[in-house]
Amino acid sequence: MSDFDVVVVGAGPAGSAAAIELARAGRSVCLLERGPSPGSKNMYGGVVYGRILDTLVPAWWEQVPVQRWVTRRSTMLIHDEQALTVDFRNPGWGAAPFNGATTFRPDFDAWLAGVAVDAGAVLVCSTTATGLIREGGRVVGVRTDRPDGDLRAPVVIACDGVNSFLAKEAGMYPHTGAENFTVGVKETIALPREVIDERFAVRGDEGVDIEILGCTGDVPGGGFVYTNATSVAVGLVLSLPALAAGPDRPEELLRRLKAHPAVAPLVEGGEVLEYSAHVIPEAGYRMMPELVGDGILVAGDAAAMCLAAGIWLEGVNFAIGSGAAAGRAATRALARGDASAAGLAAYREMLESGFVLADHRRLRDAPHLVMGDLAQRGLPAVACGVMEDLFTVRNPEPKQGVRRIVRNRMRRNGIRVRDAVREGLRAVRTFG
Amino acid sequence: MSASSYPEISFEARMATVEFRIDEDRAHITVDDTICRDCSTRGCITACPANLFVPTAAGGILFNYEQCFECGTCYLVCNREGAITWTYPEGGHGVVFHRS
Amino acid sequence: MLVAACVKLVDLRPQVDRVSGAVTPSATPGCSAADRAAVELALTLADSWSASSAVVCCGPAAADPVLREFAASGAGRLVRLDVDGAPDSSIVGRLLAGVLGDLGADVVVCGDYSTDRGSGSVPAWVADGLGAAQALGLVQVRSEGVGSLRATRRLDGGRRERLVVDAPCVVSVEGSLAELRRAPLAAALAARDLPIEVVDAPGVVVPAPLATRPWVPPTRVQPAPTGSAALERVVELTGALVERTPPRTVELPPRQAAELILEQLRTWGYLDADDSTPGGTAAT
Repeated sequence: MSDFDVVVVGAGPAGSAAAIELARAGRSVCLLERGPSPGSKNMYGGVVYGRILDTLVPAWWEQVPVQRWVTRRSTMLIHDEQALTVDFRNPGWGAAPFNGATTFRPDFDAWLAGVAVDAGAVLVCSTTATGLIREGGRVVGVRTDRPDGDLRAPVVIACDGVNSFLAKEAGMYPHTGAENFTVGVKETIALPREVIDERFAVRGDEGVDIEILGCTGDVPGGGFVYTNATSVAVGLVLSLPALAAGPDRPEELLRRLKAHPAVAPLVEGGEVLEYSAHVIPEAGYRMMPELVGDGILVAGDAAAMCLAAGIWLEGVNFAIGSGAAAGRAATRALARGDASAAGLAAYREMLESGFVLADHRRLRDAPHLVMGDLAQRGLPAVACGVMEDLFTVRNPEPKQGVRRIVRNRMRRNGIRVRDAVREGLRAVRTFG
Repeated sequence: MSASSYPEISFEARMATVEFRIDEDRAHITVDDTICRDCSTRGCITACPANLFVPTAAGGILFNYEQCFECGTCYLVCNREGAITWTYPEGGHGVVFHRS
Repeated sequence: MLVAACVKLVDLRPQVDRVSGAVTPSATPGCSAADRAAVELALTLADSWSASSAVVCCGPAAADPVLREFAASGAGRLVRLDVDGAPDSSIVGRLLAGVLGDLGADVVVCGDYSTDRGSGSVPAWVADGLGAAQALGLVQVRSEGVGSLRATRRLDGGRRERLVVDAPCVVSVEGSLAELRRAPLAAALAARDLPIEVVDAPGVVVPAPLATRPWVPPTRVQPAPTGSAALERVVELTGALVERTPPRTVELPPRQAAELILEQLRTWGYLDADDSTPGGTAAT
């Protein structure tokens, strides 16, 4: 006999979104969370894009626990001591319906899970799902680590995060090689509000998000700095195989970023409030597991729905989008009494026709491009070098032409025009 | 600018900023040290953000599970089948983030 | 037979600024490890004595979810004394004693002290209010048959004291004594909507929190030295030539040492000359 219509494993953004949809459709849903409260196991690289919440929680911006609204977005290329920043400000993002927000994940995830509970979902914390219950190849529930902990339900939605042991156990996750993953490490550093406002040139609840390329030494990856209300977060995203090859450890690479002349003035002088780390499913579309099985759906990070595409770094919105779709698909399947893979197939169709898989498919080559040698080393070196040559006035020497400067800098960095053009075309194909 | 200034902290102080509700009864990571002796890469040592893996003079790997972020880096970079057994800790235990 | 545990809702992760000492409250309310150990001990004792169990909390409604967690683990009754703010330990102790008396608690288990700068005096006040025996700061507790406990208490210098305590009694335990058992899944689900018996605490005056500021030693009025020469005044100020009784170190068996101390106190006038048994019976 079933205990619930649906068991959702993981009360992160994906799981809570699924639970909200199901509970509002009148289904009994159990939302399992292994942490003592939702979000206590989660960390991220900076920004929640909330527009996906429009349909789930109207006027969500009035209740979501926000640190600052991002009104200034910078992309920084670092080479040695130099840095080139493209800085975009849009005060319009600081008013409804807003765009990106910085928040602490324990706050945000607990809020969204609270919405699910208000809708009627049953949240059970401090409970780890240890495995699937299967009958005749079909998933009919999960085992938990509580005494008498079996939970049976016709549909299980696995939102159990990047390590998704449930999707792996169901045989849906073939791409588990380290090359598909990065690890994010982050320091949250306390600074007074006025100091943050001054350093980042913002006011009130305006915030800043800075994405950084070229700051990770020999390890492919990237960095980020963003502002909370009274703290800044500075962190790195690092490719696992290169990190494993050594010799530099994550905190050493982070120390170097914090000491960089372009970053140190932003983050120095504060007390470290918390250090955190989490693995990221970097490869996106190329590593996605099967999304639908008999009696099981996979959503969020568990389905590798994290977009790490250089200029776009998003995850929470994809988690909410995929979770909500999983919830709707499960509702439909339950109404028809068919929780088989065929009955649940609407999930994939919803994702295909929406932004979740459209964005991921379009940008499927982006992670590879961004982690490639040209983007990691060549681009920052050439860009900073070109800037140096352009703006260093070497009188009485006359100025050089831009084309010549670029050519010289490319040659000095060992980049052939042919390779640059090829990568450029790939970038155009991917991002265009 | 604030009057007080905080220098770069030690690794121990860094880890002390994180709350861990340690399960005294069960280690959620176990390492089969005999497999590690033949491992030449030992990616876990540099990759683990919490620095939980330490090489021993005898050629093995010493590990602790208490201050684990539960990120999964170690088993993902481990190229020796079966060397690291990794599960989530018992519900309610392990790392608890507050400002992540 | 009823075994009751007393718990307090505290902030588990308050942020203390290392420079200014300012305390910022966190959003992590809960019960300390010692309180959870107390609940576990109460449940264990109730199980082994086939007794009923209860958890009593003196605090605001925010404590209810935490109390329900204890119910999921097996606590029979949940009672909350509805008090906002932080009354003095003596008031909390008397209020709790009133409730525990009404419940008919035979054995009361508390955490040794609350983590929000608690003094550990509430269990003692509860014992006083109930007229029960007390054994505080225990590191080990064993049942010696229904209503009887054999306990180990931590003393200074790594020493241990072994006690036998019989009901009615109040004991307080350290957090390392036990870990609260995991609630079965069905119980965790069932406990979510469990009603909690709320007892009003009328007439409790919660004093406004004291303004805190750095401690400054109080000043004392000292008369100016009267000597005419500088040296005399320095000697007078330092008291170098004033006659005094030098400190004395003696090593004696406890009984003789106690006698000596009493003798000295009489000499100084702190005790009446004929008062031979100050402050009730001597403890062993």
